[in-house]
Amino acid sequence: MAARGGYRGGGYRRRPVGSRVVLYATITAVALWLVAPFAWLFVTSISYQKNLLARPFHLLPPEVTLDNYRMILGLVRFHAEGQAARMLASMWNSLMVGLVVTAVNLVVGTTAGYAYARFRFAGKTLSLFALLFTRMLPTIVLVPAFFLVFRALGLQNTLTGLVIAYCSFTLPFTVWIMKAYFETIPGDLDKSALVDGCNRFQAYWRVVLPVSGPGLVAGGAFTFMLCWNEFVVAQILNTRPGTTTLPPVIAGMNGQINIDYSVIAASGFLGALPAVILVLVFQKYMVQGLTAGSVKG
Amino acid sequence: MKTRRALSESAVAWLFVAPALLAIGLVVAFPLVYSLWLSFTDVNLLRATGPAVELGALRVPLFRWIGARNYTQVLADPLYWDSLWRTLYFVGAFVAEATVVGFAMALVLNERFPGRPLLRSLLLVPWSLSRIVVGLLWVGILDFEFGALNGLLLRAGLVDSAIAFFKEGWSALNVLVSVYMWNQAPFATLLFLAGMQSISDDLYAAAEVDGAGYWRRLWYVTLPALRPIVFLVLVLATVNGFLMLDLIYVLTMGGPGYDTTTISWHGFKTSFTFFKFGPGTAILYTLTALCLLMTVVYHRLVLARFEPEG
Repeated sequence: MAARGGYRGGGYRRRPVGSRVVLYATITAVALWLVAPFAWLFVTSISYQKNLLARPFHLLPPEVTLDNYRMILGLVRFHAEGQAARMLASMWNSLMVGLVVTAVNLVVGTTAGYAYARFRFAGKTLSLFALLFTRMLPTIVLVPAFFLVFRALGLQNTLTGLVIAYCSFTLPFTVWIMKAYFETIPGDLDKSALVDGCNRFQAYWRVVLPVSGPGLVAGGAFTFMLCWNEFVVAQILNTRPGTTTLPPVIAGMNGQINIDYSVIAASGFLGALPAVILVLVFQKYMVQGLTAGSVKG
Repeated sequence: MKTRRALSESAVAWLFVAPALLAIGLVVAFPLVYSLWLSFTDVNLLRATGPAVELGALRVPLFRWIGARNYTQVLADPLYWDSLWRTLYFVGAFVAEATVVGFAMALVLNERFPGRPLLRSLLLVPWSLSRIVVGLLWVGILDFEFGALNGLLLRAGLVDSAIAFFKEGWSALNVLVSVYMWNQAPFATLLFLAGMQSISDDLYAAAEVDGAGYWRRLWYVTLPALRPIVFLVLVLATVNGFLMLDLIYVLTMGGPGYDTTTISWHGFKTSFTFFKFGPGTAILYTLTALCLLMTVVYHRLVLARFEPEG
């Protein structure tokens, strides 16, 4: 499903010089608005705090250093190494939670999305509305319940608990995105598989799923991104050191007065990088999947 | 043609959706109902005895039913109403900013120019960041002591002393709105762009023949065709505005004073800073009711427009 080419809305002929100047000025402004803040995070992460505090201000750092990264990776000793030492462990936790939730979503959510795209059945409209509602639900309202039940089950401060809690806000999205994706695959494909003697499940598993790569990539990458970036649930449920994910650790460092901003910037940049790379690599599929999933009912 | 109709279509469909609906029932419906129950009880996290549902080793405490007392207590608190009005301002300002900036960026990205694919990729950068990182990087720009914006303004001589963006409540609230907009507007842009690309070229050609310039084409062709997308963006931004929590955590913690305390932050603090689950879930449930209302709006206004048959 390649994005349709063609440029509309005007201005696709020769532009007069004046309007070209306006256009390029606007483009530059948009590019700066989108990237400059993130680029500045990188600059601060390779600077010394004393140079960030120095006035007059310099856009280009007078000295470049990797010390901030050495500190958060535990390669050098410094006064707040206790907090910083949690960085790599929490990245590992984030990775595990993200991968397991993504796997569960792809297996369970995709199958449901397929049924919603293809079948007519009693209760379809109602259950779709319920799904839509769960998609709009404030996850925070569920957390007191998770807190008490996980306490009873011994799932507080475990990654299993986080996986369960994360399915609450990812699964409805995945079902929705996959439903929209399967609607773009011609139904004749399944019909001919049925004619060839497949049953419904075989038609889905052996014929439709193998050509659904782009949809699976969209749903999977989006789910992983949501998990990797989630903060509030992990902050509340996993409070014991070493059991939580990356965002609460970064936020925790941010709350410490004795840690330099440049060090926190390094942890923020390092923590953001995997999600940014994931999104940029799979952007084509993600953009299609997400826009279709939002627009289609 | 083989006819093996062992199961009706409905039964097969339910087999397909059952795992997902069961999982959602366990991780969404059950906690949702349990939280609702909690909002009508006097939750005491230290008490180990009392009524409970016991399933083998699992013991889910039920606490004592006190009727609507949590709700009357919460609604009698002026802080609740202050937070509600503040939330409404926050949501209104956020929706306006995200929609306008999102639309403006879509107009730029809909033009043809060298480097357009690159700019479209860059669009996804703010959106793919964790809100913790979003807050963090704006601290690096707005901070009173080391912020880059203050540094630039001082150096250019535009201000005499650094601006304290988070010191005063009104300014802090509006900074929160704009930072959240920076993070969320790109998604609105994606939706607008998808809509713009599905508008037929013929319409623009016809408008051009009629002598319509850029702005007239925008007003008479682009905007009417995008009306459903505008609705969609408005609804999604409204819900996201009501739910925002994490940026408040990194940037303001609800302060100074209570000046950036929204309903969701008020519910979060009551539940998890003071561990008053009864009043806390009551506050969060009023928020849930607002989101249910938005779901109905989304269903009626947005989805119905894309799929006329419903």
